[in-house]
Formats: sequence, structure tokens, C-alpha cells
Amino acid sequence: MKYMAPWRWGRDVGLRREPEDNPIVSFQRAINTLFDDFFRGVDFTPTEGEFMKFNPRVDMAEDDKNITITAELPGLDEKDIEINLSKDILTIKGEKKEEKEEKGKERYYMERSFGSFQRMISIPAEVDTTKVDATFKKGVLNITLPKQAKAKEAQKKIQIKAD
Amino acid sequence: MADEAIKKPESKGTMAERTRDRRTYIPRVDIYSENENLYLVADMPGADESTVSITLDKDVLTIEGTVDEPTSAGRKLSHGEYGIGDYYRAFTLSEEIDREKIEASMKNGVLRVCLPKAEPHKTKKIAIHAGL
Repeated sequence: MKYMAPWRWGRDVGLRREPEDNPIVSFQRAINTLFDDFFRGVDFTPTEGEFMKFNPRVDMAEDDKNITITAELPGLDEKDIEINLSKDILTIKGEKKEEKEEKGKERYYMERSFGSFQRMISIPAEVDTTKVDATFKKGVLNITLPKQAKAKEAQKKIQIKAD
Repeated sequence: MADEAIKKPESKGTMAERTRDRRTYIPRVDIYSENENLYLVADMPGADESTVSITLDKDVLTIEGTVDEPTSAGRKLSHGEYGIGDYYRAFTLSEEIDREKIEASMKNGVLRVCLPKAEPHKTKKIAIHAGL
């Protein structure tokens, strides 16, 4: 997936979820996001193609030393979450379980979504897989992936010579 | 993803002016009644019991929560799907609630509020005195 992506992936995209009143504009933004994510190698298709199923939102940030991935997973326990890292693909898997339906329950609002999910995120730099750290607090998963020294050096500024 | 805006929309509620310069989001909620209680469950990832407040003013129940922003020098967002901000939502309750017995708990970013319904007021007969 990553190899067919254009070179611009994973760089300086910025926060896209701007407040938007106009539905046309927000729809267009959603479509743009779809293409951006496709070319950046982020798999965000909900498993089994159900859109109302629980699909966590994921942020990825970068500084000189680390890549941090955060995911909003309200209502999950750390034992419900599985994280796998193979080469440069990080997979977050889990299930948000719904409380059992009981008799005598009258529902007024049902906005929260439940179900199992899987997200695959390609890591934009080489990381030290032995030092990956993950914490789960207040319904937010935080994964820190330290960049390898090699990856830090790989970014090289190219001088332009004047004739 | 087209429903992204529905998932965690920004609040434009009729709240008082906020003193913090941050975005505010509407938490997604489930509300149901069971037995003699009304339950409200809200997904508020990033907020915990120390930053969430619940107020009941007359028949308006308000839930608010703040989320800490990650602070790291040179942090650059390379892929963003959610915004960090506070939560705000207000509900108008139609049933009488026993204010003294409201209970709330917070776990893994999910707020649960139990609102017991108040006993219905007994019909009171008013005696009419005969005119003098």
C-alpha cells in the first residue's frame, strides 16, 4: 500500500477537522480526506463495511525523537485492545462491547457506536521496535514509537549551488 | 467518513461565553430509562472525573468536560482525525428527577449518570369551606 503512495504522504497535513457549517464544504472536505488517506496508506475502511459501527479516530504526530499515535477509544479497557507492529505497519485491534440488552429498557438517545474494529497505520519512519511504549488513559490510547537514529539522519538538506 | 461531522460535532450551544479559547465538542450520548432510573451515558475520551462537571439547573442538565492538550516541543501533526477540545452538552429533562440521588461515575472516558425519577406527587385534595 505504502509503495504506491505518492511521495507527499505523511507530511504536514495538519488538522483537518475544521468546524464547518456548510454541508457541501464539509462533504467536499470528507472526500478530500478520503483521497488523502488513501494515498498516505492509512486504512480507515471500517471492517465489514458498516459505517455506523465503532471506528476509532486516530491522530498521528511527530517530533524529532518520536512518532506518537493516539486513538480515541472511550469505553474500552486496556485488555480489550491489541496492538501489533510488523515492519512499518501498526495495527490496532479491539472491540467496544455493548451493554446487554435488558427488558424494561426504554431508549431515548442512541448515538454511541459499538463493535469490533481494526485500524492499520503505516509508520512514516524507521522506529526502534524494542522501545515502543503504549499507555491507555481516560479512554485515549497513546503509542510512542521512538525513531531510529538512522531515520533521523536520513533527512538531509540538499544545498543548491549557484553557478 | 462523510459522517465525521456528526460523530463529534462542534458545539454551538446556547451556553454562556467561555473563558477558555478552545474548541468545544458535543459528546455522543445514549439515554435510556430502566426501572425507576434514567441513565445517561456519554463518550468523552480524554476527560476524567476531575475535569468533568454535571449541573442540573431547574430541568436543564448540563455536562461539561475539559481535555488536556498534548504538549511537546516540535510536535507536528501528520495525520489528524479528531480535534482536541472541551465537551459541552445540555439536555432538558421532562420527568421530575430526585436531585438528591443523582449519581455519576467516569471510567475509560465514558461518563455514566444515573438520574432517579422522583416519586409522583400525591394528589392533594383541597377542602372547600362553606361560605360564612
